[in-house]
Amino acid sequence: MMLQKIRLTGLLCLLSVGLLFPASALAHKVNVFAYVEAGIVYAESYFPDGRPVAKGKIQVFDDQQQLLLEGVTDAAGLFQFKVPKVADLTLVITASMGHKNHFLLKRSAFNEE
Amino acid sequence: MRFIVLCLGLLLFLAPAVDAHFGTIIPSDDIVTQDDGKTLTLQVKFIHPMERHYMEMAKPQQFGALHSGRKTDLLETLQASKGSSPDQLETFTFWITDYKIRRPGDYTFFVAPTPYWEPAEDLFIVHYAKVCVNALGLETGWDQPVGLETEIIPMTRPYGLWTGNLFTGQVLLKGQPVPFAEVEIEYLNESADNISIIHPPSDPFVTQVVKADSNGVFSYAMPKSGWWGFSALSEADWTLKHEGEEKNVEIGAVYWVHTRDMR
Repeated sequence: MMLQKIRLTGLLCLLSVGLLFPASALAHKVNVFAYVEAGIVYAESYFPDGRPVAKGKIQVFDDQQQLLLEGVTDAAGLFQFKVPKVADLTLVITASMGHKNHFLLKRSAFNEE
Repeated sequence: MRFIVLCLGLLLFLAPAVDAHFGTIIPSDDIVTQDDGKTLTLQVKFIHPMERHYMEMAKPQQFGALHSGRKTDLLETLQASKGSSPDQLETFTFWITDYKIRRPGDYTFFVAPTPYWEPAEDLFIVHYAKVCVNALGLETGWDQPVGLETEIIPMTRPYGLWTGNLFTGQVLLKGQPVPFAEVEIEYLNESADNISIIHPPSDPFVTQVVKADSNGVFSYAMPKSGWWGFSALSEADWTLKHEGEEKNVEIGAVYWVHTRDMR
């Protein structure tokens, strides 16, 4: 009887841990943000809790979906590059486990410097 | 005679609950995504939220935003405007501004108003109001204090709330928790997404009241979509002069959150 109780408690514990995992996965949502200063695009990637996305792959597309350049974020989640083209730019970040997001940097932002 | 005295007593007892004053900051959006416009409009008012009554509001003493641990003074961006409820014959001053979001993260907007003289209560009222706007997926900063004389620190992330969610906060006075603080809660009937104006069936429905625990922590579940105001009142340890007489000052810690129906 006691053994059965212990097994049941163990099973409930495992179930609880299982329920925790989806929340943990959600917290891994990646984000990317970019701004322009003096002809340089500064991209920042981060998780919702502020941790940087290190070694995230960043691809930059123009408004014709042509890949202009790509690179990898550093340990602080940062990546920078010269403005490759005066156009609406889409930055796509891909982190480990297929987590992906994008940011649209409108060409109007180039004039707000 | 005894009956009349009893009725008068009841009226006096109920009066403060019926007309709860709330300092208010309402932004045009509480979650700014990359697909949204980045310019927020913020309205700063002194009102009875459920009854939609406006009170005249002088230009605040402080108005700003806290973002990434840095405060930005926005006081001089405020423009005076006029508003009133449908049953008010005159209009009253409130304040409005636009603010452009430039960075990801949480923006806590705060206001410290000019003391409001309330003759009915024979005191001044100063409500320090706050509201948080999240931008671009970075969810940090919402639990940071602004450093106001009294303020509510959210313990529930104050955005992305569904109707029915519990909002938990802690009441601070000079940075210290206020044990068993009384917190008044009102629904903003003029919420832009309120599809049906609420007509409370009796006075206690206008202002909800909860008490905090010994650590100043309180909770309330919000039953309707729109904006909800939480207000914890204390008496200041300073006074102000009115017509030559020293008068008490009621200081309020006010926090606003928005809920959305789950659909």
